[in-house]
Amino acid sequence: MNNLRNSVKQFLGKIMKNIKTFFWNLRRAVNNRKKKISDFLDRKNLNFAGKFPGWAKALIYLAPALIVLSIFTFWPIINSLRLVTFENYNIVNNDITGYTVFGNFIKVLNDESFLFEASHTQGTAIMNTLIIVFISVPISIFLALFISVALNSIKFLKNFFQTVYFLPYVTNTIAIGLVIAYMFKADGGLVNQLFGLGKFPWVESGAEHWRSMFVLIFYSIWGSLAFKIMVFLTSIQGIDKQYYQAAAIDATPRRRIFSKITVPLISPMIFYILVTSVIGAFKIYNQIVALFGVTGKPDGVDYTMQSIVMYIYKYIDGGNNLSVAAAGSLILFAIILVLTLVQMQVSKKRVHY
Amino acid sequence: MELRLENLTKIFTNKNGQDTKAVDDLSITIESGTLVGLLGPSGCGKSTTLFMIAGLLKPTSGKIFFGEDDVTKLAPEKRGIGLVFQNYALYPHMTVYKNIMFPLENMDVPRDEAIERVKAMANLVGIGDMLDRKPAQLSGGQQQRVAIARALVKKPRVLLLDEPLSNLDARLRLQMREEIKRIQRETGITTIFVTHDQEEAMSISDKMVVLNYGLEQQYTAPQIMYNEPSNLFVAKFLGNPPINTIDVEIKNNYLMINEQKFMKLNVKDGSYVMGMRPEHFRVAKEEDEKIKIEVSEIFHIGRDTMIHFNVNGQNVRALVDSDSVGDNDKNIYLTLKRNRVYIFEKETGKVIDHE
Amino acid sequence: MFNKTLFDKSNKLEKITFIFDVLAIIAYVTLFIMLFNTLQLPPIDPLTGEIVMSDIETYPLNLVYRFMSFDLTYYQLNLLISITVIFMLVAIPMLAINIKKLRTRTVYDVNSYVAGSKFVNAIINLISFNFVGSILRVINMFVLVEFVKGYKPKEFFKSIIPAIKTKIKKMKEKNVEIDEDIDDQAVITLKKHIKHQNTASAFRLMSTYLFLVIMALIIVVPFYWMVITALKNYTSASSTNPEFFIGLSRMNWINFKVVLEEMNFGLYLKNTIIVAIFSTLGTVITTILSAYAFARIEFKGRELLFSILIMTMMIPGELYIVTNFITVSRHGLGWIGTENNQYFLAMIIPFVTSISYIFFLRQNFKQIPESLYKAARVDGCSDFKYLVRVMVPIASPTIFTITILNVFSSWNAYIWPRIITGIGGEEAKAYWLISNALRDTTFMLETGQVMHNLQIAASTLVTVPLLIIFFAFRKYIMNGIGRSGTKG
Repeated sequence: MNNLRNSVKQFLGKIMKNIKTFFWNLRRAVNNRKKKISDFLDRKNLNFAGKFPGWAKALIYLAPALIVLSIFTFWPIINSLRLVTFENYNIVNNDITGYTVFGNFIKVLNDESFLFEASHTQGTAIMNTLIIVFISVPISIFLALFISVALNSIKFLKNFFQTVYFLPYVTNTIAIGLVIAYMFKADGGLVNQLFGLGKFPWVESGAEHWRSMFVLIFYSIWGSLAFKIMVFLTSIQGIDKQYYQAAAIDATPRRRIFSKITVPLISPMIFYILVTSVIGAFKIYNQIVALFGVTGKPDGVDYTMQSIVMYIYKYIDGGNNLSVAAAGSLILFAIILVLTLVQMQVSKKRVHY
Repeated sequence: MELRLENLTKIFTNKNGQDTKAVDDLSITIESGTLVGLLGPSGCGKSTTLFMIAGLLKPTSGKIFFGEDDVTKLAPEKRGIGLVFQNYALYPHMTVYKNIMFPLENMDVPRDEAIERVKAMANLVGIGDMLDRKPAQLSGGQQQRVAIARALVKKPRVLLLDEPLSNLDARLRLQMREEIKRIQRETGITTIFVTHDQEEAMSISDKMVVLNYGLEQQYTAPQIMYNEPSNLFVAKFLGNPPINTIDVEIKNNYLMINEQKFMKLNVKDGSYVMGMRPEHFRVAKEEDEKIKIEVSEIFHIGRDTMIHFNVNGQNVRALVDSDSVGDNDKNIYLTLKRNRVYIFEKETGKVIDHE
Repeated sequence: MFNKTLFDKSNKLEKITFIFDVLAIIAYVTLFIMLFNTLQLPPIDPLTGEIVMSDIETYPLNLVYRFMSFDLTYYQLNLLISITVIFMLVAIPMLAINIKKLRTRTVYDVNSYVAGSKFVNAIINLISFNFVGSILRVINMFVLVEFVKGYKPKEFFKSIIPAIKTKIKKMKEKNVEIDEDIDDQAVITLKKHIKHQNTASAFRLMSTYLFLVIMALIIVVPFYWMVITALKNYTSASSTNPEFFIGLSRMNWINFKVVLEEMNFGLYLKNTIIVAIFSTLGTVITTILSAYAFARIEFKGRELLFSILIMTMMIPGELYIVTNFITVSRHGLGWIGTENNQYFLAMIIPFVTSISYIFFLRQNFKQIPESLYKAARVDGCSDFKYLVRVMVPIASPTIFTITILNVFSSWNAYIWPRIITGIGGEEAKAYWLISNALRDTTFMLETGQVMHNLQIAASTLVTVPLLIIFFAFRKYIMNGIGRSGTKG
């Protein structure tokens, strides 16, 4: 038995050795050839490889990314500035009726479903987006903070909870959105069943605007908690233990430890998360599609749940007026730009230990 | 392999267009098989010199010869050098075996011979039984051994060590420097050793170069340099506790200390800087040329006793035998050997031969 | 002081057990596939060329399923499938955990709990019909017991009862000790204080756990509800009083078959996997190359170029999509909206690079000490070889995180594929990705009601691969996300 095993081992070892030697020799041959060429070039004083300027070398490495980026990132930035000046751009026959400077912006801002409510529907893109931003972001940040502090204070089952809280991060937004919509179904939905609400409509015919909004906010919080918890937990774990030991000796109450030590020490992270999630909330789209369908309008209601992004896509879809879409996305960009500038200013001045 | 540097100069230009001379017109010849310590305070250009020899930096002017070959323009891998870094620079994702094997992959060596060389080299530096480990599983000293093995496995013409011991703790440092000396002797390889630690350099080197602001100060064997410094910088840089330097006057060929005639010297009258190493003092006997000093403080440090006193208004330390002074001695006569009295020019700091 | 031979013997036994574990898992999987294939979809309606949806409810019930010379009813078949799935769910993670434990186990980790866990494993093996594994684990347990306590198997059985007795005795003694104490006033107040403190901290701990459990339930319930609903039949899924639990034999595995085969989700999954693999491959390659250029190569305008890239990260994706839509259409590159549509190209190429990943990886590359590069140069390593042999392996955790994040975001891609496949009518439908399919497939009965069970089954099908990847690389993913602070 032992003999057999040894001989098998020897046999395998030999094969491995042969393979390795083969590759070694291959490399050696290639190296030799390279060396000969470079020696030859050295002798003729032609070896430019060493004198290659940095940018040429960098260009070789950057080329693949730069080509893709210039077509699909840089060009669109320039082009969208061009697009907004077109009047009634139509992709199907690729023609326009004229040029305009602010026309498309005015069109967007005056649109009945963008800024101001129309007589026959409730809810506009800006209204809906702002509600989501101002309600779901603070709630999710507070929840994430509490959960990560709670997680940090326990040992038993910590990994288990961490894993559970992380689950929403690894899901498909549409898939879970369908499940959530199903859970909030009026007839036989889990939520109504659990809380004994009878046939209370949440996301379908008969539901008021706030109910649909509640479900949307619930879902956006549910989906965004995971990332925030992970980031907060990582930064809380990075806090020096000595602060807590000092606080314990001073018999500081837990609430004060939380508000005077934990929060200030991770304030850069909180602020970063705040800004990124506000930006993220301004871009909300997939969740709305998942819950309310492509039009952002639950069946049989007289309001719309569309967000800014959804408004933009309405114009991209089918390509009926891409100039308006470009104007909408530039407005969104302006909002995000302002937020980012605020972040940069504040993080320079205010957020510190 | 003899290594020759000819008028080697390196000028760095920063963003504002200001030039800094890191190495200034350095010309030295390192004999085959010697271990030369490159010594100087931080920022004196010693690492720059080393990297120019390695080919990682291009000299602004000057030439580098390995034996008769001019390697100034050669790429590092064609020079045949082994380089050991301060932080070892081991590849953290490779085992010790693969780390040592890595340089051979780029050379013209058959695989069997390569494996043999790796094993032999690992045994030479004393890590033969750790080939399967990753660098993170090794202690600092062991990592340093791996780095040396990796540098030597190529059979380089010159071995360059860049502050190899400064990341080790004191005890290991002592052990490793003996180890490096042993390995260098066994392989007989020409070695350059960069350090800012004078004790380290003195104990390990066959010869030492002291650099300051890119300028060579002195190039000779350590003991000679210690006993016969060529200028004030070298004298100050070597020795612990440091040399005492005081301003003195020479009047009528007599060295004046505390207004007393101390020693007759063959030097022109004028003011000079005098250097005295603390450990060169002795309590004077009757027949010696001596000075009377007033002890201001006295410390017993085991074998020796440290005496502080004032000379020409400046504090001077002397290390003398514990038995030769009592605790309550206020006035003592001290002496120095003639050739242990260093007189430097005030402006240039050059030593003046006073015999 | 330790009996190394026993330890080695235990490890060897464990390794042999793994072979049988793997065999068992292979058996479960093949059994599952065979059973799943035995399920039969209702016949195709000759008029529409599709199956009649309402038949899914009734048709399979009355069939007799032939499986390895057994005749099974629909319920029995479902029961068998459920059992194999449960076996897989237990056996695969158990194997993974055991392998990991064995790799990290040292002599010092072994105590009586390890032996106990072997026993529990053995029982699980026994229940899941892995008899050889079970026996080997019991033997291993005895080896470990001997290793820890020095008992031979016989002595071990004898020692059980006295051990329990001494335990009980000790507990009794403890109680007595407290009673015997004679306290003066100070000690009593101190004790009260401690007791008060203990109750307070216990209360605090309990409320912490309560909070965490409630939040965890909110997180988990949608997943649970998804899986349960996916296995219900239409009547049960649309009833006014939904069931919270369903029996093993009443799980309708046929739902998945309908979704995969009849509703083409097999095809959509394949599409998504193709897009995910190629866009991730592209992203990783371009990211590594550019991050290297930004981290290591000195060239004029490096900082300027890099800050331009960083600035574009602020711009919302919608702005790009407007123009990119024109770019890939027949007025630009002509990938879509022409005779010969290149849907995959249009879906993959715009996403083969990502500025945020370049930024993330560059930060990581910058932390690799410069001296490694110098050492490699002296060893005759070219720039590219240094990148491949040294930098990439060292930064592999980050590269892995990037890979995973990119796979996730491809799996989640909705809007761009939707716009791309919005052109071209029926032909484009064959290029749907799963998100589009989930939203735009009509899971409807002929009468117009939505078949929620099928819809949710499709959702489950989409979610499960992600969860598998997540559980396989849990630690890497969670650490990577925590550090990165960025999401696609």
